This record gives sequence, structure tokens and C-alpha cells, in this order.
Amino acid sequence: MALTVDEKSLKHGVLTLVVTLVEIIQEALETQAVRRLEGGDLTEEEQNRLGEALMELDEAMEEIKAEHGITQSVQDLRSGLDDVVDDVVDKLINPARWADEAERGTR
Amino acid sequence: MAEPASLQPTRDPRVTLPDLVEVLLNKGVYLNLDLIITVADIPLIGVNLRATLAGMETMLEYGMMRQWDEKTRASVRRSIARQVPLLPDEDVVARMPGGVYADDFHHSWRPGTVYLTDRRLFVFRREPAELLWQAPWEHIRTAGLHSERAVGGEQRQRLRVELVDGTYHLLSTADPERLLNLVRRHLRGVGGPPGAGAIAASAAPLRESHAWYQERRAGSAVWRGGTARLDRRTGLTWRSPLDGRPAVNLTPRDITGVELRPARTPAGDSVVMAVATRDDTVLLAPDDATEWAALIRETVPEGAPRHELTEVQVGAHR
Repeated sequence: MALTVDEKSLKHGVLTLVVTLVEIIQEALETQAVRRLEGGDLTEEEQNRLGEALMELDEAMEEIKAEHGITQSVQDLRSGLDDVVDDVVDKLINPARWADEAERGTR
Repeated sequence: MAEPASLQPTRDPRVTLPDLVEVLLNKGVYLNLDLIITVADIPLIGVNLRATLAGMETMLEYGMMRQWDEKTRASVRRSIARQVPLLPDEDVVARMPGGVYADDFHHSWRPGTVYLTDRRLFVFRREPAELLWQAPWEHIRTAGLHSERAVGGEQRQRLRVELVDGTYHLLSTADPERLLNLVRRHLRGVGGPPGAGAIAASAAPLRESHAWYQERRAGSAVWRGGTARLDRRTGLTWRSPLDGRPAVNLTPRDITGVELRPARTPAGDSVVMAVATRDDTVLLAPDDATEWAALIRETVPEGAPRHELTEVQVGAHR
């Protein structure tokens, strides 16, 4: 299989990958921030600072995506990754599927 | 027996990657790994790995990293609250990295953080702690952008803050336009309509024109061209386009008298005005010195007599 890589698509691909990973980390940080807020440990000042910082990060990410025109490809990559995760988790918790697949394979 | 089917545990048909990460962080992952890498059945490298990955809230639930969490947050609280010299119940509206041009003996840019509060604008350096520059909102007359060539050769935008006493200061930040917008919003908010009117009235000079100024240098006097400006509030200023700040800056209180005398200026033989202060005389040659002198006398009617009066009293005591 021939793989054509030109400079533009390489930059595009790498940027998409990095932005997607950062976005996933960002989402994880946001859910953890909500948990910390609900934990009731933080002072009001800390809550404000945390909220502002996450909001700034979100704005910066949207800007980067819009600026490089990768909003769509990030979304595609994310749904692709979600499919993979879905598949793996599905197999992990349903050992019956292994049998199905094995059967299908032998036929 | 078909009914209980709806009570069967179901799983969201799609699991996304963020879902997976969330579950891992919320539950926490503990990894204990022992590994030996062998070549030809001879152990060469040993790995003993213990890792815990969890959301901070989960960590705290299990009693891990509690002290570290508290220490981190306490140190941040200290650094924000203690080091920045805020007045009681003063609120920081915005802060951004920046600097101020020090016009005193430093003559250089001094980096710090620009703070914009509900009371004032100031530049603070954290290490070692020093308040580099500050101005309350009431003392700031206007602000604008000023473009200049930086050391590296590129054009940089600076924030030029003009104070009511006629001096101005340059601030630099990464985003001068944002700072300018914030400053403008505050300047408008400070006085309200009446205050803003007073500021506008004082900002319009009584008279402003080209003038020659005799600058005394070591051993000789040099006439320099520039702009003289007379204002009821800030008084008389003269500034050369080459200078950073006015070379002459006399408030109405400083001026004790004005007289006209003939002199030779770069424009030829003409009449110049000698503006007297307590300990000095400033020679200025505007195009129409007579009118200027009259205006200055009008601006400082109470300044000159009061000064003479004090001299008389001193004389009486002797």
C-alpha cells in the first residue's frame, strides 16, 4: 500500500492528533474539576480561578481549531477513537462475542 | 415473564474515550508491575513499577496526597494575597505580564505584572517584591497606544498613560489593546458624567503652539524647537518632539511672574517671555509672546501676589 505524505497533510494530521488528545485531556480535567467543586474542599476564590482557567483553555482550543481549519477532522478522529474504545470495551465485558467471532472465523 | 426485561441492567450502547477516561479517573487505577527482561534466559534488566492514577478527589478519598494538595493550594493563596500590595477591599479586575519604562535613573524597561484594580493601575514585580509604578484612576487623564521601535528593531505597541500633572508613562504588555480597552472603561467609569466633563474641559489647552525654549547646557544656552502648551489645571509645559517628557513643566502655582524681553532666537530678533519661578527663570519664545504672556498672567492671577506677600512677611519679621 502506497502512503503519500506531503508537508501540508502531515502538518494537518499531526496537529489534528495533538489537538484531539489535548481535547480528551481537557474533558477529563473538566469532569475532575466538577468533582472537586462538588467535594466542597475549595474556597470561593479557588473555584473562580479554576473556572476561569478552564474557560480560557476551552476558548484557546476553539480558536486553534478554527484557525487551522481542523474542527471537522478533530471530530472525525474523535469518533474514530470512540469506535475503537467502544469495540474494545464491548469485547472485554462480553466474552460471548469472542465465541461469536471465533465461530464466524472458522466458517 | 416478558416484563422484567425492561429492568434488566443495560449498557449505554456507545462507550466514548472520554467516558473511559472518566471512569478510570473516578475509580482510580492501581498498577503493580514486576518485569524482568532476559536475553538467552539471563535476566538483564529489572523493572518494578507501582503506579496509581486517579482523579484528585479519588486520591483524597483514599487519603493519598492530602498534605501535598493542601500545601500546593496554601502556597498559591499566600503568593497571591500577601505579595501583591492590595489596599483593603481593593479588587483586581485584570492582571497581565508587562512592564513599565522607568524614566528615573534606570532609563530602562522594568518587567513585572500589570494589575488593573477598581482603584488604580499598577505594575508590580514579584521577585524581589517591588511596586514599580502606580497611578490611581483619578490621576490618569487619558491613555492611548504609542508605537515605538523596540530593541530588537520591530515595532511594538505601548500603552501611553497621561497623568493630570502632565507627565506620561509607558507600559508594555503582550496585548496592549486589551489593556487599553480595560483602562478606557475604567476612566469612563470613574467620574461619571460630571467628572468626565471636567476632565474634558481641562484636557483642552488654553493655548498650544510652536515655541522656542532656551535650554541651558553646561556653559552655554541652546534654543530648541518644540510645542508649548498652557492649561488652567496643569499649567505651562514645553516639550520637544525628541524628548520623552516635557522639559518645562510648571503648574500655575510654580509661576511667580512673566515679563517680556527682546532676545535673539533662531527665528531672528524677537520678543521672548521670561517666566519666573521661585528659583529659576525659563525663557520661551512662542510666535506671539505678548498674547502668551497675557494668558499666563490670567491663568495665575492668585499665584504671583501670594508669593510676594510671603516675601513681605518674611521681611517684616526680620
